Amino acid sequence: MIAVALRGLRHRPGGFVATFLSAFLGATLLMTFAAMLDTAAGADTVSAESLSTTAAVAGGWCLIIVIFAVTSTLSLAVRRRAEQTALLRRLGATGPQVGRMIVGEAVAVALVASAAAVPVGLVLGRLLLALMQDTGQVAAGVGYAFGPVALGVGFGVTLLGSVVAAVATVRRTAGPAGARPERPRARRVAGVVFLLIATNCSVLTATLMDGKGIDAMQTAGQAGIWAAIGLALFAPELLRLVTAVLAGPVRLAGGAAGELAVLGVRQRTRRLAGAVMPVALFTGIATGTVYMQGIEDDAAAGTIQPAYARDIQTLNYVVVGMITVFVAIMLVNSLIAATAHRRREFAQQRLAGSTRGQVLALVSLEGLLVTATGVLSGSTASLFTILPFGAARADRVWPDASPVAYMTIVVIAVALTGLSLLGTTRRTLRGPAVAALR
Amino acid sequence: MTDAVRLETLYKTYDDTGTAVTALDGVTASFGAGTFTAVMGPSGSGKSTLLQCAAGLDRPTAGRVFLAGTELHAGKDTAMTKFRRTRVGFVFQDYNLLPALTVEQNVLLPSRLAGRRADHARARAVLDRLGLLDRRDDLPERLSGGQRQRVAIARALIGDPAVVFADEPTGALDLRSAREVLSLLRTVVHEHGRTVVMVTHDPVAAAYADSVLFLADGRLAGALSAPTAEAVAERLAHLGDLVGAGAEAVA
Repeated sequence: MIAVALRGLRHRPGGFVATFLSAFLGATLLMTFAAMLDTAAGADTVSAESLSTTAAVAGGWCLIIVIFAVTSTLSLAVRRRAEQTALLRRLGATGPQVGRMIVGEAVAVALVASAAAVPVGLVLGRLLLALMQDTGQVAAGVGYAFGPVALGVGFGVTLLGSVVAAVATVRRTAGPAGARPERPRARRVAGVVFLLIATNCSVLTATLMDGKGIDAMQTAGQAGIWAAIGLALFAPELLRLVTAVLAGPVRLAGGAAGELAVLGVRQRTRRLAGAVMPVALFTGIATGTVYMQGIEDDAAAGTIQPAYARDIQTLNYVVVGMITVFVAIMLVNSLIAATAHRRREFAQQRLAGSTRGQVLALVSLEGLLVTATGVLSGSTASLFTILPFGAARADRVWPDASPVAYMTIVVIAVALTGLSLLGTTRRTLRGPAVAALR
Repeated sequence: MTDAVRLETLYKTYDDTGTAVTALDGVTASFGAGTFTAVMGPSGSGKSTLLQCAAGLDRPTAGRVFLAGTELHAGKDTAMTKFRRTRVGFVFQDYNLLPALTVEQNVLLPSRLAGRRADHARARAVLDRLGLLDRRDDLPERLSGGQRQRVAIARALIGDPAVVFADEPTGALDLRSAREVLSLLRTVVHEHGRTVVMVTHDPVAAAYADSVLFLADGRLAGALSAPTAEAVAERLAHLGDLVGAGAEAVA
């Protein structure tokens, strides 16, 4: 089965591009930050502490996002090949055999991606150290080390994340034929737990961390991430809610296409919820981080700051940039996968009398509902960061900040969703409709 | 009597792979209003291509198509879609019902897409005639194959088309459902004055039509009126011989 897996990889490398990219980017970032731990081993106490803090804070973000991104891209890559899997099953492959094939593929992709990440991580780690030395955080004499921790964390986490994602995917797809019922309770319980952790972090920020200055970022930043994940887990429910509220206007704007869009979202809530998640994570984490840093900058103006304040500022923006890239991959990948398999459905609509324009309108309206849900969840999640941090750092809950950054983030979310949806749909609609049914 | 469909020297070549494949090689034919015609031929004879070009679902490489006297201009996809909406009904082998819509919504979809108000009374009248009135709020997945195909026929009829094209309408059905669907198509023609053109490879299905048109290698290869299954099967077997013997034998 491993042989089949490797042949499959060589035969259709395109299907694994998204998985490879997210694993590669993840491994690169993990190695970059883990190299700070290698470097800390040979540094003086003050430098070592600064290096470890950086690695722990930024590395933690990476970990969560890598696992998310790899899981989402891998499960979609596998789902897209459901036909091949079904064929293998018909030819006599057992469930565990198919499972080994999928896990084998995931391991192969993760290994190649991690190996490719080594040289890039090596260079980025050196740059990061130089940055920290420039800001006076780390003594100029500290030598760069890229060793066992960087390699171990980079390969280990990427491999582990991929295997966990593959096993989860296998359990979902390689089981006996027939639809697997969703288990909403487990998902909802997890969602509530994440939201409780988020609330706890928020409360800690506003109470315990009040007056602790920049250190309040530790809990405030986390609060937003947990809240974004918690709300993302409720994506199906939120999507249904948003659809119910917006059904009237969407029908009015789109006519028959609008009606089909509302029906389509109701029918395919679970699948579309997968696209809500990256939008929610992106909006939540980006908004939360940018405004938290804004509050910090205002509050810190004219006061004496701990030496690592500037590092944290840099890191915060690095994190936002990183998340944008990851989320873009996840979003584009999930939307492409969710749209490409609708070739047949679109053809059926066109044969029933839809013009190409009407199909595009339908997809745009569906995308609108998905984006609106994601942006609303993300914006709510960002408040878990912004409000308590504002209270702790600036003694005002609602920040005195320009909405431009927030609007930019929303525009990016809308543009990413819109471009990937419409691009794929247009490609799916190419050629006569009857050809798509053959 | 005016022709519901008239095809003038239709050519269709596919050139996807670099080597041109001729699917239609100069077909001229007409289908009178109020008739039920079956189009038959071996695999690859071009019968499905003929149907798709005639219905405005595909563009012929050359030649002209007239539906109820109006020429179909193989222009932009949107223009062709709008042309089809008012003149053509289509029934497919695998029904092509939208799974998210109920029976009644599926039937009303073409007129909704055309921007007309949903005429529920008319939809129900058609569904009633087809024996599906009590299933109108069900989703397609809850219907049998035969019932789904009847819904597809209702959808094809609702727009009062000049012609209904049916592509292997019984290909996915069991014998009893197939008989029901074919009888229904006959009724549609003989009692309601519609025009049906049906592609099939099944001589028994073809025997339900008023006449049969044979295609081989993208060309017309004869016709048969008041067909019986046996006569059609015999003619088909003979067509196979001709094709097997090569073009010289035909000439």
